[in-house]
Amino acid sequence: MSEFDVIVVGAGPAGSSAAIRLASKKMNVLLVEKSDPPGTKNVSGGVLWGHELDGVIPDWEKTAPVERYVKAKTVGFLTEESSINIDFRSRKFDENRSGYTVLRVKLDQWLAKKAVESGAMLVNGVTVDRLAMKDGKVVGVEQDGDTITADTVILSEGANPRVAIQSGIREPLKDHDVAIGVKEVIKLPEEKINERFNLRGKEGFAGEYVLGFLKGGVEAGGFLYTNKESLSLGAVISMKHLRANGNTRSFDIIEEFNSHPSIAPLIEGGKIDEYSAHMVQEGGYSSIPKLFGDGYMITGDAAGFSFSNGLVLQGMNYAIQSGITAADTFIDLKEKGNFSNSAMSLYQEKLQKTFVMQDMTNFKGIENVTWGNLTHQHLPGILENVMLEIFMENGMPKRHMYKILMDAMKKQNVSSSRMISESFKMIRRL
Amino acid sequence: MKIEDRLSLLNYKTDKSFAHITVDQNICETCPDHFCTYACPAKCYTLIEDKLNFKYEDCVECGTCVVACSHGSVSWNNVKGAHGVKYKYG
Ligand SMILES: Cc1cc2nc3c(=O)[nH]c(=O)nc-3n(C[C@H](O)[C@H](O)[C@H](O)COP(=O)(O)OP(=O)(O)OC[C@H]3O[C@@H](n4cnc5c(N)ncnc54)[C@H](O)[C@@H]3O)c2cc1C
Ligand code: SF4
Ligand code: SF4
Repeated sequence: MSEFDVIVVGAGPAGSSAAIRLASKKMNVLLVEKSDPPGTKNVSGGVLWGHELDGVIPDWEKTAPVERYVKAKTVGFLTEESSINIDFRSRKFDENRSGYTVLRVKLDQWLAKKAVESGAMLVNGVTVDRLAMKDGKVVGVEQDGDTITADTVILSEGANPRVAIQSGIREPLKDHDVAIGVKEVIKLPEEKINERFNLRGKEGFAGEYVLGFLKGGVEAGGFLYTNKESLSLGAVISMKHLRANGNTRSFDIIEEFNSHPSIAPLIEGGKIDEYSAHMVQEGGYSSIPKLFGDGYMITGDAAGFSFSNGLVLQGMNYAIQSGITAADTFIDLKEKGNFSNSAMSLYQEKLQKTFVMQDMTNFKGIENVTWGNLTHQHLPGILENVMLEIFMENGMPKRHMYKILMDAMKKQNVSSSRMISESFKMIRRL
Repeated sequence: MKIEDRLSLLNYKTDKSFAHITVDQNICETCPDHFCTYACPAKCYTLIEDKLNFKYEDCVECGTCVVACSHGSVSWNNVKGAHGVKYKYG
């Protein structure tokens, strides 16, 4: 007999969602978290997109410690001198709130508390060393020489899955799988935030930017989100491109972003109150390991479920949904008491029916297009040249848009056939 | 803001008896790129007179260096006993 039905490793969004679901179905769950209190080592931008929490905490939109709802969304291209932004606000967006800015220390603590209220046992400040194995099956976890047993272990350990790697069920991560996330939280009075971003009350702003001004082939996406009384600003830097450049330091990039002429006025007078960093999973479909085996399932970032490509950054929603799906899988298997590899394949089957695997499959390979010099260097430059020619009055006769675009592309050494073929690839994958 | 000032904003509970990350100086000695010094967002890896200096005390446990070092020098473990960085916002 095992001591627990399930041991969940890690109380992030994936682990806590799994624990809540399991405990509320009367399963005997142990949730192990290395930080104390939960959340104090976790970093997100962050906007929590989607409504996946509905599945475990139906009234979360009213009770969760969220900062603001996303009223205004911006996608921007920054060159050294200019910024070209697409600002999106819509009444439809307001009616169906689809994103909330969050700070993880508050959110994760709250989620872990919900798991306890549902009946899970939480131990924090405890680090799981590796999976306990017997005859090739996972039978629990090892911690400081002790073994705690469970019918199934759900691994929700995040973007640097040491337990999975050290237990030999996941390959070590490679450049392609990850990006480096750096972030700062900037204190700014609520009225200032509302004034600068044109917001009222609980309305919030979420901006993502292609940092086209970076030199030497470094590719990174910037983000700027509004909290109640602070801003979250940061960058997600492609490991592969930083390595190829070999001369840029990750922590200097956030400095270049926050001093950009179109960003600096937004944060002016604010005080940096925290700096943080965390790896981001972003290899997409090709980074997903085998998701289950005898006595275990892998969820969230540890499973590579994240959608990040320098333009979009989502992971918490995938974490929550995969945690819930793993919990549901266990609940189904519990009836027959069979937790073998073949029974566990139900997890994959169930995931396939959710947006988690559907997005991963549908957007297979998108990272190769969005992380690429067309998006990160040439496109911002082309847009800048087109805008300058259209809007700067210089006494010259006006030219046709087509001609302007062709010249701007020529300046960036981008042939029209490449532009067409890459745009086509992007459209096909989007 | 300089990286040193950024790091000084953070709270740590340093584990004096256990370095959760270690490097193999023999490997670092012949390293052709020292990419860790560019990748680590907390400047834990620096070159002092051409020799790699690593200090785990400033580490924010982001996980970058174990991927960044492609020469197998970094051995990376989770901190124990709630040691290490403790964010207030995250
Ligand atoms: C800079 C940055 C910006 C981001 N922005 C966004 C955003 O705007 N929107 C979005 O949706 N996503 C964003 N993400 C991604 C998002 O943070 C992740 O996808 C999400 O946190 C994954 O959740 P998780 O539960 O799988 O892992 P995590 O949140 O990392 O949780 C893992 C938990 O496991 C614990 N743990 C790990 N190992 C052990 C062990 N051995 N024993 C015990 N406990 C352990 C950790 O302490 C942690 O609490 C961002 C990420 C970064 C770094
Ligand atoms: S840790 Fe790795 S990358 Fe850094 S100096 Fe040593 S061998 Fe080189
Ligand atoms: S885990 Fe991150 S902060 Fe810590 S030493 Fe490695 S790269 Fe630096």
